[in-house]
Amino acid sequence: MVTTAAPGERLRDRLEQAVGARNVRGDPGALVTYATDATPLQRGEPDLVVFPASTEEVAAVLRLADEARVPVIPRGSGTNLSAGTVPLSGGIVLVLTRMNRLLEISDADLVAVCEPGVRTIELAEAAAAKGLLFPPDPGSHTTATLGGNVAECSGGLRALKYGITRDYVLGVQAVLPTGEVIRSGGRLVKDVAGYDLRRLLCGSEGTLAVMTELTLRLVPAPESSGTGMAYFTDLREAARAVSRVLASGVLPVTLEFLDQVCIGAVEDYACIGLDTDAGALLIFGQDGDAHTIERDMERIAQACEAEGATELRIAGSSAEAAELLEARRAVLPSLSRLEPLTILEDATVPRSRIADMVEHIQAVARRRGLRIGTFGHAGDGNLHPTVVLDPADQEAVQGALEAFDEIFAKAIELDGSITGEHGVGIVKLPQLERQLGADHVALLRRIKAAFDPHGILNPGKLGS
Amino acid sequence: MSGIFTPELLDRCISCGFCLPACPTYGLTAVETSSPRGRINLMRAIETGTLAENDPTVLEESSFCLGCRACEVVCPAGVQYGALLEEWRGRLWHGGRRSWRLKPLLWAVNRTPRVRALGLVRRHARTRRANGKAAHLMLGCFERVLYPRVSRSARILAPELSVPPAQGCCGALHAHNGELERGNQLAAELGDALAGTIVTTAGGCAAHLAGVLGPGRVRELSQWLAQRDGAGEPGNPRGDMRIGLQDSCHLRNGLDVYREPRELLAQVGEYVELPSAGACCGAAGTYAILRPRDSARVLARHLDEIADAGLDVIAVVNPGCYRQLEQGVRRRRLRTRVMHLAEVLAAYGDV
Repeated sequence: MVTTAAPGERLRDRLEQAVGARNVRGDPGALVTYATDATPLQRGEPDLVVFPASTEEVAAVLRLADEARVPVIPRGSGTNLSAGTVPLSGGIVLVLTRMNRLLEISDADLVAVCEPGVRTIELAEAAAAKGLLFPPDPGSHTTATLGGNVAECSGGLRALKYGITRDYVLGVQAVLPTGEVIRSGGRLVKDVAGYDLRRLLCGSEGTLAVMTELTLRLVPAPESSGTGMAYFTDLREAARAVSRVLASGVLPVTLEFLDQVCIGAVEDYACIGLDTDAGALLIFGQDGDAHTIERDMERIAQACEAEGATELRIAGSSAEAAELLEARRAVLPSLSRLEPLTILEDATVPRSRIADMVEHIQAVARRRGLRIGTFGHAGDGNLHPTVVLDPADQEAVQGALEAFDEIFAKAIELDGSITGEHGVGIVKLPQLERQLGADHVALLRRIKAAFDPHGILNPGKLGS
Repeated sequence: MSGIFTPELLDRCISCGFCLPACPTYGLTAVETSSPRGRINLMRAIETGTLAENDPTVLEESSFCLGCRACEVVCPAGVQYGALLEEWRGRLWHGGRRSWRLKPLLWAVNRTPRVRALGLVRRHARTRRANGKAAHLMLGCFERVLYPRVSRSARILAPELSVPPAQGCCGALHAHNGELERGNQLAAELGDALAGTIVTTAGGCAAHLAGVLGPGRVRELSQWLAQRDGAGEPGNPRGDMRIGLQDSCHLRNGLDVYREPRELLAQVGEYVELPSAGACCGAAGTYAILRPRDSARVLARHLDEIADAGLDVIAVVNPGCYRQLEQGVRRRRLRTRVMHLAEVLAAYGDV
């Protein structure tokens, strides 16, 4: 049921009437720049790029496209890593960056209301100015839009303590592919009227509806935060330390790890004095009031020492904390500088299986002669095995793709997931049925058909 | 058409998109095509032959870009966007395709005698010849004509510098406008004429010279003063003037110099950090001449902030920004004075 009609001249005229001629681009240069997102190796050119400014304009575009059976691919800033916004069969890329109004921050209701093109950091900063916190902080939060965050159900560094984007979506206004505008949820914490469609739209990857307004939950901002780091001889010790921390009644806000490959790459690039002999580096943090932070940092330190941490540091100042976090921040820049092509994945396993998973990744890398560094969120089991290679080396590219196939199979075997926060998109669609099973995938298709009878929204992805 | 870009430079981009919010033209349009990642995709398309190098969108975007290099600072992969842009313009703007507005400018500064002749009419700083001292003040080409008081102020602040008159243009103007080779050659000539450390009052020139001669040979004035005198005494201003700063893009984004001018200004007045102090003012070398309307759109936010902050003085560290802000302030009829950092320090500091 994949729609493949190309938009004709008549459709283009009507789209221009709907959103204004200057907000419809069909020049080859523009199409080239909307043929890719942040996903390596995936591209597909659209026929048109359309920039609506309101819910009404989005509805008009969708009605026209649905009538003409032309695919529509919604897009924010294009930072996603699973090719979810890459057009597979032409059509219209619907860019929502012009809808970037932050409509309200209510400290009475603890909600923010905004359009989908607002960037995550803009909301976070506006909330912070009122003493509030919007916790989801995906790595791309300076660039990514909230519409994209909700559509991909982004995670981030604070997921263990605060949850993921899904946990902060109270209400959405969305336009169905056939042009109707619906609302689900709103400013209420409790609201069980009807199926939970707003949650269904979280992570729907632009295949069910186009969200045009979001009502997001905010929480009071913590007073302050503390940060520390610990080295371990091998990864198993670090993994056991994580389990011990959680068993001690502490729920840290940050619990990140780097494997040996990542430690080496960061030190080579940033020269910040990391111990490159260590098998793993754990970076931890807690937020809250001063008393809580002191108590929890102490407990985390004890847990790390009990599991054989070779070195332990607790930041004494915010400058020192920034220095410790720099090791984590520098991972991707360091790895990506090693080779022109960087493929960043996000296989996820239960926390208790992190060591098994990372050892498997390292074994696969050794066997295939690939350079794979693994870092990620130790607190929630979300791993980022990252391979760097030269795209001109076809054999290596093929080897990397096969390696990820093995890694995803292992993740599923360990009761994990093929994707923790990057989404299925194009890249992991072939793996989806392996994780969910045939009946589940068939149900996804029926849900997709209920929303999108003509299959115009982001065809060839989830639910197709 | 391949062979325009150095493959290693173009390969660096991992398409993460982190550059988008840093880009002033993306800020104006919210269109990916007018962003650094979008432009790199255009370059790649030219390189693979998907797009012709004279495709209208390609030509438009190569010129719409300010070349401010704000994208380089936020790039996790270390893409040298400024270098790619120079290669792009070197290809596209050569010969007949260059704007008629540019030709007389480039001609005027292409030979040292012409630059000297330009300077004769204005009273800039000068010493008869290089006096063997290890450091020299660079006069600049257009700066010595438009703002001769800058070099005179710099001379007062740094009497240890010699100011030989036999010096031409640094070539930044050429390098940024499609004549990369000539731009590099001029920088090398200037490096020969001013053996030793070159101290400049123009952020754009500092970055270009540092790129060709190596950063060890070049100091922007605030860097020179800060290194000479050590840290000043912050929080002890001698006046109650409210002073803001407009960074020079290439000084900030190319050479990472932005603390020094702020610390110096804080010694003579109440330093006010404008929200857009670090963002391009729209002067962008010849951009204000080539694309006056877009340049004014980029400038508008800066003027709003200057007015809102009620500044007495807005300091600049580059002649292009000087001219841009002077015109903007005049058109808006703001009471704020535009002054070069050197002028502010010479007039209000104790030298």
